[in-house]
Amino acid sequence: MLGFLFRHRTASLFGLILLAGFALLALGARSPGRRLPVEWVGPVVTPLQVATAHLHRRALAIWDGYRDWRVVRGENQRLRQEVETLRVTQLQLDEFQWENRRLRNLLGLAERLPLEAAAAEVIAREWNGWVRSFTVNRGRASGVERLQPVIVPEGVLGRVADVRQHSAIIQLVSDPASSVSALTQRSRVQGAVEGGPSGQVRLKFSAQETQIEQGELVITSGLGGVFPKGLPLGYVSRVNPPTTGLFRYAQVTPVVEIPKVEMVLILKGQVDLSSLFPAR
Amino acid sequence: MRLPLYVMLLGGGTVVQSTVVGEFAVAGVTPDLPLVITALLALARGPEVGLLTGFSLGLLQDGIGGGLLGAQALSKALAGFGLGFLHRHLRVSIGPLQILAVVAVSIGEGLLRFLLLKAFRFPGDIGEMMLYGVLPQALYNGVVASVGLAGLIWVRERQRGKAG
Repeated sequence: MLGFLFRHRTASLFGLILLAGFALLALGARSPGRRLPVEWVGPVVTPLQVATAHLHRRALAIWDGYRDWRVVRGENQRLRQEVETLRVTQLQLDEFQWENRRLRNLLGLAERLPLEAAAAEVIAREWNGWVRSFTVNRGRASGVERLQPVIVPEGVLGRVADVRQHSAIIQLVSDPASSVSALTQRSRVQGAVEGGPSGQVRLKFSAQETQIEQGELVITSGLGGVFPKGLPLGYVSRVNPPTTGLFRYAQVTPVVEIPKVEMVLILKGQVDLSSLFPAR
Repeated sequence: MRLPLYVMLLGGGTVVQSTVVGEFAVAGVTPDLPLVITALLALARGPEVGLLTGFSLGLLQDGIGGGLLGAQALSKALAGFGLGFLHRHLRVSIGPLQILAVVAVSIGEGLLRFLLLKAFRFPGDIGEMMLYGVLPQALYNGVVASVGLAGLIWVRERQRGKAG
């Protein structure tokens, strides 16, 4: 018998389970109040259910905590980013404010000038001992020509040394090769303001002149046909002692803070501008 | 399969079904995890294991759930046996086909359970029961089974890798 059952294991098992199933069904249907198998299952399963439910609740709590943490973290990152953006915006606003101020200054000067002027932005700087120049974003296309004077609201910056289609090179007054015809405003001593290799500016004048004083304003003389008369160049900071040569020198502090210049005006024409730049 | 692991799978499956699975309800439909376990074991181990697993899990569910004792035991046992038999004789070894087989067996099990309950004066309507109970659950079972099968394949690959 057992051998037969083992040989036909699958069919026997199938029959047995079928029988058990129907027996259970019949038992359950006849006496619904006496659910003996359920009574046996309960004590084993209930603690497991309790433990699982507890674990489930804990897992849910951990998950909720993690989700909250992610939300807070995301919010934190978003706020940080927002703060960064606001900081950058603030910096840009500050920059715009400064630029606005500079442009208003320049515009004010341009409106006061009795001759045509083109505003230009400094886009490059050459700043070594041999050459001191700026490149600006205006060129032939904007009507810029060689040797036109370049000024800022404080005074002379230099002159156009080279012109390209959409840019121009400005030779600064501090360039070693620069020489601007000048005179001292109070004592009316004629001379030439020259640049030097170390960036200093000096006034070269006749040895016979003796009236120049420290602090005196040096302006363009209008001679030479490049710079209009009366544009401030700088203040005499020191007058060198007389030598045996034909000329004497005075150190000049430029009125323009050259390294800080960002916008310039390129003048087109010649006229006396003394009234526009009163002595300080 | 080792007996403790088998017992753990059966007990765990039943307990998880009665506690955690509710969290994964989609539009009120939950998978029948014990049936999925039965199906996977039947596919992996054949009709005898499917039969015994289905019977044990169904009986446990009957005991825990408080329904008609033996209804799920019988329906799941037959489902496990049927799937194991199908797999053994028709060699249903392609993953998507196995998933389809799980869905089909789920529908069959639901239908059988309904008929068994109907025989014992269950008041439900077969159309409604199939539309809102059996079919959506069968589809959900298919999804869970595909995850389970992927897990089984992964375990087998790892075992093969270790053996190699």
